[in-house]
Amino acid sequence: MLEIVDLTVAYGPVMALHGVTLTVADSSITAVLGANGAGKTTLVRTISGLVRPRSGSVRLDGRDITRLAPEEIARLGVAHVPQGQAVLAELTVDENLRLGGLWRRDPSGQRRAMAEAYELFPPLASRRHLAAFSLSGGERQMLVIGRALVARSRVLLLDEPSLGLARLVLVQIMARIKTMVHERGLTVLLIEQNAKSALSVADEAMVLHLGKVVVQGRAHQLSSEEGLRHAYLGF
Amino acid sequence: MSRFFILTLDGLTQGAIYAAVALALVLIWRATKVINFAQGAMAMFTTYLALFAIDHGAPYWLGFVVALLSGLLLGAIVERVIVRPVESAPPLNVVILTLGLLLFFEALAPMLFGGQIRSFPPAFSIVGLHVGNSQVAFSAFDAFTLGSVLAVMILLLVLFQRTNLGLRMRASAFNPEVSRLLGIRVGRMLTLGWALASLVGALAGVLIAPTFLLYPNVMDQVLVFGFTGAVLGGLDSAVGAVIGGLLIGFALSYVGGYLGSDLETVGALVILIAVLMVRPRGLFSLQRLREV
Repeated sequence: MLEIVDLTVAYGPVMALHGVTLTVADSSITAVLGANGAGKTTLVRTISGLVRPRSGSVRLDGRDITRLAPEEIARLGVAHVPQGQAVLAELTVDENLRLGGLWRRDPSGQRRAMAEAYELFPPLASRRHLAAFSLSGGERQMLVIGRALVARSRVLLLDEPSLGLARLVLVQIMARIKTMVHERGLTVLLIEQNAKSALSVADEAMVLHLGKVVVQGRAHQLSSEEGLRHAYLGF
Repeated sequence: MSRFFILTLDGLTQGAIYAAVALALVLIWRATKVINFAQGAMAMFTTYLALFAIDHGAPYWLGFVVALLSGLLLGAIVERVIVRPVESAPPLNVVILTLGLLLFFEALAPMLFGGQIRSFPPAFSIVGLHVGNSQVAFSAFDAFTLGSVLAVMILLLVLFQRTNLGLRMRASAFNPEVSRLLGIRVGRMLTLGWALASLVGALAGVLIAPTFLLYPNVMDQVLVFGFTGAVLGGLDSAVGAVIGGLLIGFALSYVGGYLGSDLETVGALVILIAVLMVRPRGLFSLQRLREV
């Protein structure tokens, strides 16, 4: 279980998050919605340790991880897939995938996880020995998500996975993630600007506006409230 | 034996040394995008430590090990204590810091070991080998020099291309933030990179000292030539560094042999300027692939 309690983050004098509180239950998908600049990316960067909060805390299964370094948080099983297809462009597809699970020191589990990732994303399998910079935007997105799956983390932080991805591929990926949520108890925090597609897969959802939580609730309720949809979600 | 042949052999052995220095510079450049101008001074210092051990009765090979291990340690300490605190500062700060380190080691060495020029024993004979009845200008020590530099290059290639540790080091160099999100302890990788570079530099030190002798600023010129070799090779390629270093060795040997030895340094600078004008990314840089 991932608990975020009264989190406040500022970049110099600019407040990015204002007392955000959120609990992400195990085996569930929670969508974080909101416009550009709402603080969605800041929220995930704070959870993964890249940004230090001014106050508040982040807890993973009751353990305070607020002040841990990003690499230690990753080793506790929190995989952050950042925005913008952050592949290691100079390395091959295979090397990128391998990096996902290196910290586990479990070669046989790693091989299985890599085989699964290639099965899930066939375009990657045929390009495994090419440098990642030769991939298209969609293939890069597959690679960063595949890399996070190879880590077999308990918590997946997905920052705008829909960017640059064909609709069909996105649906496939989200279906696969949903299966992992049910079968393996994966916990997902899904950051999206595209509210409609996020709400269709999420269990819970919250809307951020200028660093504050404005709405929080069950995903299907949020998508049925017309006023809310017009005010914040744009559909 | 023709003059050209002698100069070529000479260039090969000199070039091997420049290649080792170039390799050390490239290791740090790849990891942190910094040129360590103290690389030569650190190598001078570890060579003095080896000589200190030998002076006190240690056999040659123990001294050799002292140089390499102290190199490894010195590199790690310099990264952790001196470079780490300015890691997030602009690159120029780190460069100026390494220049300061250069001055520091060149001042510290004469205080600890005396400023006079010392001779340093070679690992093997420096008398030219006999081929049939004639003697060639290539000694057993020259063969050792060339062989050990090539061996180090191959070991580094295996480390970087074939091991998980090498993969972590490359990832950390290319994108520290993403690497940290993948659970890689990037800080340790940087320390290791500096330690390895300093180890290679220490090897260059014990290879250079028998012919260049040992005094506090012996490595200044070697560093310039090694740097030229590294730039020639493209700064981010280990193979490029070795080939660049060897090419500089040949070029300087021919310039010195045919045009006069006082033109050697000028020759190196002309090569450096020419490379920067014609092919600023060097002969073997990865960068050109990224333009695709």
